[in-house]
Amino acid sequence: MHFAIFFFFAAVAVIFALVVILHRNPVVGALSLVASFFALAVMYVLLEAPFLAALQVIVYAGAIMVLFLFVIMLLNLKHQVEPATRPIQQFLGYTGSALFGIALVYYLSKYAVTQLPSGPFVADARTVGIKLFEAYIFPFEMVSILLLAAIVGALLLSGRLSGRREVAE
Amino acid sequence: MIPTHWFLILSAILFTIGVCGVLTRKNGITIFMSIELMVNAVNLTFLAYARQFHQVHGLIFVFFVMAIAAAEAAVGLAIFISLFHQRETIDVDEANLMRW
Repeated sequence: MHFAIFFFFAAVAVIFALVVILHRNPVVGALSLVASFFALAVMYVLLEAPFLAALQVIVYAGAIMVLFLFVIMLLNLKHQVEPATRPIQQFLGYTGSALFGIALVYYLSKYAVTQLPSGPFVADARTVGIKLFEAYIFPFEMVSILLLAAIVGALLLSGRLSGRREVAE
Repeated sequence: MIPTHWFLILSAILFTIGVCGVLTRKNGITIFMSIELMVNAVNLTFLAYARQFHQVHGLIFVFFVMAIAAAEAAVGLAIFISLFHQRETIDVDEANLMRW
């Protein structure tokens, strides 16, 4: 049963990831990426990390991808046609990444750990929270400062703080 | 219970798809989404090894990676909005001001 769930959602994740990089319309790409992230959240549940599966759905599929969709719709890219990349770049990109992927899968299936983990390990919100607020409290505060800096940087880059756009007009 | 190396292989495939998207696309937002795909593949690897070795550290790292991906998405999309206001395009080949 677990294996059927694993293979079904692995196929869903890979197919929607392929749609992201092959489809011309970025809105379709963003929605496919949301579907791929949902399949990855199922993978996290299979890996016995339900707290991070919830975070994946709420933060990634809920917040980050909505930000992407808002920006795509704000920019109104409908009238733009994405020009095709040069053939040499296409060729090198596809063959290079295919070789990279084949090598990665080969060495992972050859050398990675193949024995099963010794017992059940359920990492719920309580386990993660205790670890996060005891051993990792300093990186946690650093991340909060980083997020604040990102907010200020995003405001500055979009020209809301300095009034640069009004001056340019 | 599903063996760990299957999750690792799935993660490798997703990472490769992300690399391919970055290398072959010109649309800045699509390149950005490919980067998010790679970040998620790495998260899957962290969780697979966290279960394998019964370590909570892997989960904490996934938490931090998600927070940093959120910050990265905010700043990167602001850069693309700024680029679109100046150049009327988000084609990354058009952003060549710092090119030698």
